[in-house]
Amino acid sequence: MSEALNEAAHEAAQGAANGAAREPVPAPGRPAAKAPVPSPFAGALDSAAGGLSRGLARITGTTVGRYQAAVVRIGISLTWLLFLLREWPHRHELYGPDGAWSWDLADRLVAGNHAFTLLLWGRADVWFEVVYTGAILASVMLLLGWRTRTASLLFMIGVLSLQNRSVFVGDGGDNVIHLMAIYLVVTRCGRVWSLDSRRRARGRDGDGAGIALWIVLGLVLAVAQLLGRTGLTWTDGLLPWLGWTPFLWGFLLLQAVWWAVRRYAPGEPRTVLDILANILHAAGLLVIVVEVCLIYSTAGWYKVQGSRWQDGTALYYPLHLDDFSPWPGLSHAMAASGLMVLVITYGTVAVQVAFPFTLFNRRVKNVLLALMMVEHASIAVVLGLPFFSLAMIAADAVFLPTGFLRWAGDRVARLVWRGGGRDAAAGSAGEPEDARPREADDAGDPGDPGDAADAERAKDAPARAVAGPRGPGPDGEPAPSNLVV
Amino acid sequence: MEPPEESGGPAAIGTLSQPARTVVALALAAAAVGVAVHLLMVFLHVAPSNTATKKHGELVGSYIYPEFEQNWKLFAPNPLQQNIHVWARAEVRKDEGGSEVTGWVDLTAMDIAAIRHNVAPSHTEQNQLRRAWSFYAASHGEKDKPIGVRGELSRQYLQRIVEDRFGPRLNGGDVVRLQVRSGTTPVAAPAWSPEKTDTRTTFQVLPWWSSDVADQVDEDEGGEDAS
Repeated sequence: MSEALNEAAHEAAQGAANGAAREPVPAPGRPAAKAPVPSPFAGALDSAAGGLSRGLARITGTTVGRYQAAVVRIGISLTWLLFLLREWPHRHELYGPDGAWSWDLADRLVAGNHAFTLLLWGRADVWFEVVYTGAILASVMLLLGWRTRTASLLFMIGVLSLQNRSVFVGDGGDNVIHLMAIYLVVTRCGRVWSLDSRRRARGRDGDGAGIALWIVLGLVLAVAQLLGRTGLTWTDGLLPWLGWTPFLWGFLLLQAVWWAVRRYAPGEPRTVLDILANILHAAGLLVIVVEVCLIYSTAGWYKVQGSRWQDGTALYYPLHLDDFSPWPGLSHAMAASGLMVLVITYGTVAVQVAFPFTLFNRRVKNVLLALMMVEHASIAVVLGLPFFSLAMIAADAVFLPTGFLRWAGDRVARLVWRGGGRDAAAGSAGEPEDARPREADDAGDPGDPGDAADAERAKDAPARAVAGPRGPGPDGEPAPSNLVV
Repeated sequence: MEPPEESGGPAAIGTLSQPARTVVALALAAAAVGVAVHLLMVFLHVAPSNTATKKHGELVGSYIYPEFEQNWKLFAPNPLQQNIHVWARAEVRKDEGGSEVTGWVDLTAMDIAAIRHNVAPSHTEQNQLRRAWSFYAASHGEKDKPIGVRGELSRQYLQRIVEDRFGPRLNGGDVVRLQVRSGTTPVAAPAWSPEKTDTRTTFQVLPWWSSDVADQVDEDEGGEDAS
């Protein structure tokens, strides 16, 4: 989509440049023959249409931005896992049936807002322990990318169950995790850097665990349905068939269809399913990208209206809030310099407001991205908000360039496998697309919207990027026949 | 977004049969509509009140709540410029007979002590009491009158937090009643700024709450208790 935009811009620019070169040089002493100035729009429509169809080919034929999706998956699940482990000693106080926000209080609030939480299915302490421990296990599953699609559903259920049970103990970090947990369910975030992709690359047929997981989930859902548990509704009040019940049963049904088609109809039906999964993935990733832009836009544009952000003293105040200064010496030292406070105050607003617009220029975007990640890392320490910062960095990572992600992933894989006596390259063999030329991967991925240089390369990429009739990926990729989409 | 064209279309789709192509086209259209609707709703939710939200605010709300709720006005439009501490005291019935009222305890100060030099403060220290207080303050009107169900829930929540922290026994007696107050202290203006800020603490004192029954409002006895 953004690629079409690039393409048009690039084409227009090139058209203009060619026009300039072709302009006749007037001979001295003779009035130049008036050649018409070439239209800057010449061919723009065609190239826009070409860009659009190439964009569609990428969205349908490949899993766009799979490295970006994977890094968001890893970052968000790791943040939530660390949070759950950190709060283990406080879990009863925060989410338990006898915590300050008691089961009854939560039940009355949820009766009004219809938020989804397994914790209100029962008030026994053992049920709470099961759900909390389950949320930890689901985070590990998603982090490792084991049965990633199922893991992402369980992860989301864990996040919603705990957060909706006690909404008044959360902060911005919980909010980011909440949204990303939902969005990740529709993405194919386990195509790389996951146990699933490693299994695929090794051509292992891993039906057993997937089928077992599916049966267990189906049984649990059926029992919950029969018992009429809270939140299992057929409608969300807005439209019928948008409730949790159709969603969860639909999820299981889709997995069954996926498995059956892969096993019994490996021809066109499989290709079509693959294309549909790619489309859904692209939609989810686009929503994540825009969500992050909305976060920064909201944060930035509302700040512009504040008198403290205008007079350049805003940063001073959080550094003097007791709740957010775990290191008062450091905070007060930072706040002591009026000039430094002014620069960081203005810089923060400028970066937040500007970020979404810089997506149209790869270099500026990358510089700002680095700045924002550094700022969040500082917030983690200075304001004592490590989980909020980690969640924001994980969400920001959707904008990291593919080249950087692949390089970083390779470095990590080499480090991890060095001691194992294993071939370093094999460690990262979880990437069935490795055989593909790099350009095809890098070309205008949604992590780098508006990258003119990539658009240029994309021109010759589609031939390689487009999947054959057998599905995406290079020939010889073993047909995965597991339950997980 | 339109379905790919017959000729010059992407190879993968081009090789599909007509029904398969129809399915893909429908899926593309559905995804495009779904993404557009979702992003429009989220945009209207985070945008300031405007012509569209004044007219269709209810629709946006019913789409967004509860699972897509979000608030990114982080330190905006202005950062909080005051430290709010929640204090509490208790009336205890002594074992030897008679009762006494304890001194005020700064519960927030205890949270802050736990946050100090902590690389990963717990939500119990950083958010629980702080947000419980703002929940209470936001859902109570004049003279501590609760606003709707949330007002009632917020009072019980605050009371349960204080009860958890005091425990049932205090100063050699049973806790009978509790009282909460908030102390608001403006942050002093920066040293380099010509501004002068009055940094004296102002207190808001809530009524006494009977301790044993969390969901029963006791008689009012609180008043302006300046100190």
